[in-house]
Amino acid sequence: MSENKKNETVVIETNALDFYYNPQTQALKNVNIIIPEKMVTAFIGPSGCGKSTLLRCFNRMNDLIQGSFIKGNIRIHGKDIYKRDVQLEDLRKSVGMVFQKSNPFPMSIWENVAFGPQVNGITNKAELNNIVESALVQGDLWREVKDRLHNSALDLSGGQQQRLCIARTLANKPDIILMDEPASALDPISTGKIEETIEELKKEYTIVIVTHNMQQAARISDYTAFMMLGELIERDETKKVFTNPTEKLTEDYITGRFG
Amino acid sequence: MNAENKTSFRKKVKNTDKKVRWLITIGGYTIIVNIVAIMLFLLYQSLPLSLGATIEKWFSVPSSNNAAKVLVTGIDPYLEVFYEIDAQGDVRYYSTVSKKKIGENKIALNGAEQFLSGAKGSLQKEIFTLGSDSGRIVTGLITMAATYSSQGRSISPSLEIIEDWQVPATNDSIPNHIEKISLSQNEDESRVWAWQDHSGDVQLRIYDADMDEEYNYNLSSDLKGENVTALTLSANAENLVVAGQTGRVYWFDLSDFEDITLKDEFQATSLVSSINYLLGDQAIVLGGTDGSVSTWFPVRTPANLFKFRKVHTFTAHAFPVINIFVSGRNRNFLTIDKKGNAKLHYSTTGQTQIEFRPADFPILSGTFAPKSNAIIVIDAQNKFGLFKLENPHPETDLTSLFTPVWYEGYPDAEFVWQSTGGSDEFEPKLSLIPLIFGTFKGTLFAMIFSIPLALLAAIYVSRFAPPNLARQIKPTVEIMAALPSVVIGFLAGLYFSPFFEKYLMVIILFVLVLPLIFLSIMYLLQRIPDNWKSKLPPGVEILFSIPIGLITLLIAIVFAPAFEKLFFEGNFQQWLYHVLHITYETRNSLVVGFALGFAVIPIIFTVSEDALTNVPESLTSASLALGASPWQTVRRVVLPAASGGIFAAIMLGLGRAVGETMIVLMATGNTPILDLNPFNGFRAMSACIAVEIPEAPVGGTLYRVLFLTGLLLFIFTFILNTLSSLVGDRLRKKYARF
Repeated sequence: MSENKKNETVVIETNALDFYYNPQTQALKNVNIIIPEKMVTAFIGPSGCGKSTLLRCFNRMNDLIQGSFIKGNIRIHGKDIYKRDVQLEDLRKSVGMVFQKSNPFPMSIWENVAFGPQVNGITNKAELNNIVESALVQGDLWREVKDRLHNSALDLSGGQQQRLCIARTLANKPDIILMDEPASALDPISTGKIEETIEELKKEYTIVIVTHNMQQAARISDYTAFMMLGELIERDETKKVFTNPTEKLTEDYITGRFG
Repeated sequence: MNAENKTSFRKKVKNTDKKVRWLITIGGYTIIVNIVAIMLFLLYQSLPLSLGATIEKWFSVPSSNNAAKVLVTGIDPYLEVFYEIDAQGDVRYYSTVSKKKIGENKIALNGAEQFLSGAKGSLQKEIFTLGSDSGRIVTGLITMAATYSSQGRSISPSLEIIEDWQVPATNDSIPNHIEKISLSQNEDESRVWAWQDHSGDVQLRIYDADMDEEYNYNLSSDLKGENVTALTLSANAENLVVAGQTGRVYWFDLSDFEDITLKDEFQATSLVSSINYLLGDQAIVLGGTDGSVSTWFPVRTPANLFKFRKVHTFTAHAFPVINIFVSGRNRNFLTIDKKGNAKLHYSTTGQTQIEFRPADFPILSGTFAPKSNAIIVIDAQNKFGLFKLENPHPETDLTSLFTPVWYEGYPDAEFVWQSTGGSDEFEPKLSLIPLIFGTFKGTLFAMIFSIPLALLAAIYVSRFAPPNLARQIKPTVEIMAALPSVVIGFLAGLYFSPFFEKYLMVIILFVLVLPLIFLSIMYLLQRIPDNWKSKLPPGVEILFSIPIGLITLLIAIVFAPAFEKLFFEGNFQQWLYHVLHITYETRNSLVVGFALGFAVIPIIFTVSEDALTNVPESLTSASLALGASPWQTVRRVVLPAASGGIFAAIMLGLGRAVGETMIVLMATGNTPILDLNPFNGFRAMSACIAVEIPEAPVGGTLYRVLFLTGLLLFIFTFILNTLSSLVGDRLRKKYARF
């Protein structure tokens, strides 16, 4: 349904992906999608269309849901991530995730950012300090928090907390960052900051973002995928999807006829 | 609904709100008031323990005897009639109501004969003896018969001469002067007289009531001819203690009337001017010519001999102590010096309670009333002084409850709880330390057992168990909490502890081997190919653990005898005793720890499981999404976030263990000993209250001490619960702001 027009490297590729919450509830139906490297791909679609579910398949967070299972396969860098020999911890380290609601740990800012490297085996304090600093710089938070790294992360504002969560993900040096409506709970100024950060990050990372906000998708993404009722309706360059969609459904949704 | 209806409806709602708010407020305050009231009540019941003795002058009245020296006085148990016996053999009775003479008797004397000495022979009966200057020893009994009529109670005193005995003449021509005398009549009505005559000889006469035989001894050779300054017989007529003028004290054993032996002699720390046996026939009080007052009692030496040791020294008098009166109820005694100053002491605590001056002139004679609620003295001017004595709880003060006390017969000061003994003369030993220790010992063992189990179970159920299983485990554990503690105590005490004793080695081996086996199986499981594992439904490891447990048990049963033979000389209990000098008791702290743990586990489990489950999923998802393993997530995110709740859970469990009564009552031997050895028992405060309060006389010392124990328990649980919410709140503020 969608193919890579330019010669970009494909990072994630799904093949006839079905996802079931339980045998009666199918959330994804025959999804075939490719995610190109160092680009921002946005998933849009009405509530319950399966865009978050698809996102969560990429780092197997859906495994936490008892009774859920998939059919088809997902390859990241050509490797099937649902294969038995895949170490979940390694997968999730390289496929980071930022959640809709900021969820810093009830620890200091430093501990939050160092958490990922620490659980992945880095104990050297100097090394951790470097990682924390560079992650916070990349997350565009360093200037604001550098003097209070050991204060509780919960004392930060909502926007700062979300950027901290981004920095925390970056500290793991992932390939891919999954973002599940990262700005939906934030005010416009904080949202703007997050979007700037994403602009910066896409130079180095492959980013998949789920958003409700179509302007946001139009602003920041290179590719946009429109989903509905568990199916991928259309996936193309963002410009094309927003100006000249192939599918009638996409056009209806974008022009606000439903959704 | 029209406008009017609407307003009336709103009004109704408002009214109901108001009423309910009032009701809830009242309910809340009632609880607070109740708790404060309980605490105040406990305080009110235990506070009198700290009240000291009071002596209050009742009245004084001149004797109608004008010249003769008074040798013996006494008063009846109801404090209605008191009497005096003087050197002329006149016995006069007085009423405390009219303060007048109400009768008299006469003990016949021969011509110019006079009584020189007198003594009473019992702490309970008004039996007395008088020694004359012509070698006569008259022994008599004054009976205070109470008759009840419509006018109330009236006491009619009467005199009965039991014996009039003539000391055989000595070889010198002077008639025997009985200068100092002591009498003791024991429960069999056997009597022992000890006296010193003008030649300084100490003689002993024994009347054995069982055999109807008499024995006479002259103890002068044992005393090496020393001049005697004081002598006293114990109330059970088995001991005679004699003090010589050099300060040497001799202790004779009279328990075998046919063979009197000098059991011990020792040098007192000062010259002895008076001496008396305290209630209980163990301790003696020595009054010194330098005014010193000390108590002594025999203590077992390493050579298994009994030697008198000085135990307590009391506030000294400025003048020689000439009289020592002892109470027939407790370890109270009154010392009086040459100038008539009196001091009231208590032997157990070593305290001098009161100093007072009962009369303007030196005291000739006196006594405690039979119920120790009054003191009567007569001075050199033949004037009676009567004093009311109020001394409800002399055995205890804050020091004696919480510091070691040197009790009669013990080798040293110790913490001892032994509230009652075989006889009325028993010295109550009321140290709270063994009880507090017992409570914490039981709590410690319960916590060692229950905290790891309950917490691991809570972590498993909240974070690892498949939801279906978790849904079943939680209510099951909660049912454990509904198990009455008396049932647990019963099972532990009557069934489990003998079982534990019988299969001790199997159990020890099982506990040692099980973790090893589990660890090795887990190691093997990691080796199993992943696609094998994935075929098994989640949670199936529980099913595996049961046969593994059974197999381990089998291994333990098979190898226990060999294990015991190899390491513990074939018998663990004996090995404990021989090598570690630890005795094994059937009802021991391990059994209690297990049983008490049973009661505590549900509390810790439920509260901490709630706390763990309440850690928001957003945090665990964040952790897992960062590549943390499930256990890393639990350790680094879930446990800190739930720490407030877990701390509260442990504190609540601790509070339950501290206050638990039935289990510790039934499953321990209730032995109030200070010993951390896990293989013997203990007595907890709560169990002690339960055991002893039915036997404690209301208002008595034991009763009040038990209330104090209750107050302490209340304070402990109060502190634990307060700590639980304070620290819990702080932890929650720190970690659980989500």
